[in-house]
Amino acid sequence: MFKSIFFFTTLTSLTLSTPLFGQTLPTAGDIYNFSEESKVYTKMIDIPLNTMEGNFHLSDLYAQKPIIMALVFTRCTGICSPFLLQLHDHLRSLDNKRKFSVLVVSFDPKDSLSEMQSLAARFQLQNNKQWIFATTPQIDSLKTAIDFYPTWDSTTAQFDHEALLVGINENGYIGKKLLGMRDERALLSLIKEINNEFVFSYPLPAKNTIFSCFTYDPATGKKKPSLGLLILLLPAIITLSLLLWLGSRKPKLN
Amino acid sequence: MPTLSFKRITSAWIITILVLFVLAISFGITMRFNQGRDIDISPVTFYSLMTVHGLTMIGIWAVAGMAAVNYLLARYVKVSTSLNVFAFVLTVVGVVILWVVGFIGKFHAGWTFLYPLPFRVAWEEWATLWFLIGLTVLGVGWLVWSVGMIMQILKKYTLGQSFAWQHFTKKHDVAVETPPFILITMVSIIGILISLITAVILLVLFYAEYFSNGTFTNDPLLMKNLTYFFGHTIANEALYLGLATLYELLPEVSGRPKFKTTWYVAVGWNCTMVFVLTAFFHHLYMDFVQPYGFQLVGQFASYFASIPSAAVTIVSVIVLIYGNKIKWSLTNILFFLGLVGWIIGGVGALIDATISNNIILHNTLWVPAHFHTYNVMGNVLFSLAFFVWAANQFAGTDSKNISKAQLVKLSILVIGGFGFVLMFYIAGAYSVPRRYALYPEEFTSAAILASAGAWFALAYLIAILLLLGNIVSKCLKVFSSSQPSPLSH
Repeated sequence: MFKSIFFFTTLTSLTLSTPLFGQTLPTAGDIYNFSEESKVYTKMIDIPLNTMEGNFHLSDLYAQKPIIMALVFTRCTGICSPFLLQLHDHLRSLDNKRKFSVLVVSFDPKDSLSEMQSLAARFQLQNNKQWIFATTPQIDSLKTAIDFYPTWDSTTAQFDHEALLVGINENGYIGKKLLGMRDERALLSLIKEINNEFVFSYPLPAKNTIFSCFTYDPATGKKKPSLGLLILLLPAIITLSLLLWLGSRKPKLN
Repeated sequence: MPTLSFKRITSAWIITILVLFVLAISFGITMRFNQGRDIDISPVTFYSLMTVHGLTMIGIWAVAGMAAVNYLLARYVKVSTSLNVFAFVLTVVGVVILWVVGFIGKFHAGWTFLYPLPFRVAWEEWATLWFLIGLTVLGVGWLVWSVGMIMQILKKYTLGQSFAWQHFTKKHDVAVETPPFILITMVSIIGILISLITAVILLVLFYAEYFSNGTFTNDPLLMKNLTYFFGHTIANEALYLGLATLYELLPEVSGRPKFKTTWYVAVGWNCTMVFVLTAFFHHLYMDFVQPYGFQLVGQFASYFASIPSAAVTIVSVIVLIYGNKIKWSLTNILFFLGLVGWIIGGVGALIDATISNNIILHNTLWVPAHFHTYNVMGNVLFSLAFFVWAANQFAGTDSKNISKAQLVKLSILVIGGFGFVLMFYIAGAYSVPRRYALYPEEFTSAAILASAGAWFALAYLIAILLLLGNIVSKCLKVFSSSQPSPLSH
């Protein structure tokens, strides 16, 4: 029995203390930046692009049509293929009359233009004029411009990265970003945004919102009561104080 | 006893309210005919009408209740004519501003003016600021008036007596008896005061953002909570003011002894005062960021706020009427019909305030169905009963048994009123959405129901016009009179 207890205790301790032996495991916040708001309404850096149709600058493309930019790498065994496939399917089913190009850019320095061309062929998009597959020599500048930071995982020989679409309007400004595998409605709102159409939105609490009812802690996923709730109590407190003051005076006729 | 000048100002209230009521009904009928595709107005005109209609209706029936209880308060405490005149002047100024904002400025954010709609300027630039100014003028007038009335009551009764706390015991020999009218008036005016202070805070936050040039932003959830804390509370307390007049006048005009404050009357109305202040959370069921506990508070407070007052009032009225010979006049029939309308609308409200039902009914015509029922066929009839009674007082005429002509008018009123709200209920049960200027074709019955509702409302309007002539002509007599009428108390 003691052997069993010793074995169980040792195993549990080892399991729980595994992170202590190596370096501290990074948290989700260290790897990903989940904000869709960062860099929105900022001007895109004018990176050079290598495509099968020749070498351009990004500004040459967005000056003609707004751009939906998708970021992938050709050796990706994870999200890239379903991501592109879903984007293709959504755009086809939306049957949108609005003008835009889809620019698929590799963020892997090892990727060549011919490999990107093969990727296009895999999705039968090599002859689709709306889709442009490209590489760029300024990957780091591109990543900084859109707040996109894939991390190399040497164990899997893969980039750990999120699925990201960046909407760029005809003036070169980032109009909207979509993180993750999103539905058609979200994609349509991105297309509308880069075509300068009005898209309904709801303001998120900002730093100048000092009277929020609740504050949300993304680390714990919990809401905490905040200053705004006190404001909700104010009318009753003021009335009660007024009543107590008025009521403290002696009535005349009793 | 009310002075001649107090009668005159009450008379001015009655005439003004009735004129505004007729105009606001016609705005409502126009909207329903448009939804029924019988007429064609632009969406901007529709929503401007909706905004002005809602604001006017909520405003006039709140002040109708306040004017009525202020008049009847003179039986128990010393009342102030100048305070009443002050409130009247500010009300007229406020209404004029809001109508100009709505019809000339084309402001159309709805009477609830939910944040951030007033700042999404789809109207004249100046309209948003003047809308806020209009509300401020009304708020100041009514706030001062409410505080004044509370002060008048507390000059005679202690705080505990004004809430009838001495009646909580089953003993009958209390030193000072609090009349039910004083208890209900106090409870309702306190609620109105709280709602008006909420409105002041709400307006301050609106002004702060308006003048901050983007350095200050409001929290939409806080603004929505404040809006409905104010809106829900004032709409409900206005109804309770109508009930206060019922408690005071129904036995009197029915030739029965006055109602007494018993322990259950005292407990019931004190419960109502507390619970009505938290029932507004039921307006935020769809706001998923609001914790679920708040939603539960909204549901149960809705039950606890309405059931005690309704149960106590129904029992009291049944005891008054059942097995007794009642002199039925226009006044007490209006009170009785108002009670029926209040109960039906209240049941509709409780169905909607239940979370599991609200998921289906939230943005459907069920919502205007229930609030129109307890206003059009509840609160309005309570106030009309007071208007008829007061007009008789002013003209020195006694309230007679109901005539055949009056019965016909009442029949048109009942058919028109209940027919009008029934069309809302049926549409709500079919999930027809509210606040649509025109319905999509998928809602096959929506236009037909809207059109039918408009015709029923037209019948209701005709009945009101027929009743109005007599009331207004009697009220006008008080302006030419220099002597108190022999029938006044």
